[in-house]
Amino acid sequence: MGAGRPAHGLGEEMSAMQAGPTVVRMVLGGRLRQLREAKGITPADAGWAIRGSHSKINRMETGRSGFKRRDVSDLLTLYGVHDETERRGLMMLVEKANVPGWLAEYADVLPGPAGTRLELEQCARVIRCYDNQFVPALLQTADYARALIRLHRPGAPPAEVERRLGLLANRQQILRGPGPCRLWAVIDEAALRRQPGNAAALRRQLQKLADITRLPHMKIQVMPFTTGVAAGGAITLLRFAEPRIADIVYLDQFAGALYLDKPADVQHYGQVMDRLCTRAEPPAVTPALLSRIIKEI
Amino acid sequence: MTGDQSGYSWNEAEKDLMEGIDTTVPHSARIWNYWLGGKDNYPVDRAAGDAFLKAYPGMAAEARANRQFLSRAIRYLVIEAGVRQFLDVGTGLPTADNTHEIAQRLNPACRIVYVDNDPLVLAHARALLTSTPEGVTDYVDADLREPGKILDAAARTLDFSVPVALILSGIMGHIADGEGPHAIVGRLLARLPSGSYLMLQDGTTVSQANADALEDYNSSGAIPYHLRTPDEITRYFDGLDVVEPGIIPIQQWRPDPAEPAEPYADVNTFGGIGRKK
Repeated sequence: MGAGRPAHGLGEEMSAMQAGPTVVRMVLGGRLRQLREAKGITPADAGWAIRGSHSKINRMETGRSGFKRRDVSDLLTLYGVHDETERRGLMMLVEKANVPGWLAEYADVLPGPAGTRLELEQCARVIRCYDNQFVPALLQTADYARALIRLHRPGAPPAEVERRLGLLANRQQILRGPGPCRLWAVIDEAALRRQPGNAAALRRQLQKLADITRLPHMKIQVMPFTTGVAAGGAITLLRFAEPRIADIVYLDQFAGALYLDKPADVQHYGQVMDRLCTRAEPPAVTPALLSRIIKEI
Repeated sequence: MTGDQSGYSWNEAEKDLMEGIDTTVPHSARIWNYWLGGKDNYPVDRAAGDAFLKAYPGMAAEARANRQFLSRAIRYLVIEAGVRQFLDVGTGLPTADNTHEIAQRLNPACRIVYVDNDPLVLAHARALLTSTPEGVTDYVDADLREPGKILDAAARTLDFSVPVALILSGIMGHIADGEGPHAIVGRLLARLPSGSYLMLQDGTTVSQANADALEDYNSSGAIPYHLRTPDEITRYFDGLDVVEPGIIPIQQWRPDPAEPAEPYADVNTFGGIGRKK
């Protein structure tokens, strides 16, 4: 994550708790409840085990309070979770739930639901996305993104535009560094040819995509016009490190994003993504398609 | 089984889009994904997977044992046999520890060719089964019934003058007796140099409950799967030097003391490793 992440001093952990990202807490809390119920342990007994009350457990499980690492670790032991991978996945969520980090600094340009979306994105292990209008945000160059922001927010003062660009650059950090998030994108040819700014900016954007195709953790598939397959709009599917935490889907719409976490909805868009990725050109073809489009711009 | 069991109503554009992906017939790679705790499966697969487990409850543990044996076998092949090249036919959907991840963790320079004929499996594999910078992973769209095509395509990535490990993990049952499963394995091995290895595991007829469950599955409209006797599994290794302890129930093949031992009632999946002379 970005630079705003505090070290693990107790005081910082306490203060971070007050502003902890809501949905991550809900996801983690829901999982803790599942684990507790599977063991037939009452909230009162679980509370006792972590030196608290049943209402402390209820607050944690409904995402209404933050988490201390020690409490979650003790609960996982009580619930018989000894598998290191699962424990690590859940403890990682504890950190995400407690540390708004750099995201909190962008509250001015992030209304509640948008902030929630980015909190979840920052926890994802695999991001599958589809776009038929524009290059997906996590893959955008600054110039391309600047042009899009100006299109969508014609009156935005330059300072706000720069704030939004800073936010985007921070978001993109999840794709860098050791153990980065995986990104699997299907981009429609239309999105690759549309010019939110000028031709030179689009060429640089496409060149960036071409450079990305050399990275093992980022795969781009192009849906060519000749395939004739398209979904209604942009789709993002987030998958988390902890295998028992359900996937989450976002549908980008003009006025914001629609958040879907009901199993039937997530299932439905999982199948749509499967269909799109099986119909799009395989990742190995992407560099050739990009260089052809770059030449034609 | 008929109809999309999610109960989701598809709009017209989505119906067009989905044309060609059959969400009404169970699919073996997606059922295995379900048994292994993955999320890349559909309602029809979960229904078929649950029906299978109802008839043969041992299958869930057997599916996990299959992956654990794959892990131990790859470790043996990399560490003790010194193999650096793998031809894995019947990739399946990505799961926790995939062949190239196990091999490249031990030696990042390992080269792996994954082969499958299912478009969904290939799409997931190309996106997610990606190599270390030092090694290579490649993906071949081919059917097990076309060993020549598999070998020609694999030769783009693998050097057939150096030993290759052929991995056939829970795949041979896709070949009916009349299609010559043993001859197919023989043809795949024929082009590999001396010192190459075969790792093979598959379900057997030992458990009647498994055979009954599979009979129901095969009548569901899914691509049928064929169980063989332990002797028939052993025959895949004819002419090879079989690595100790032999072709046996996979749970008993060099168990790893560090691995949590899975309690199992049936010994139904047989497998092992053989070395080409």
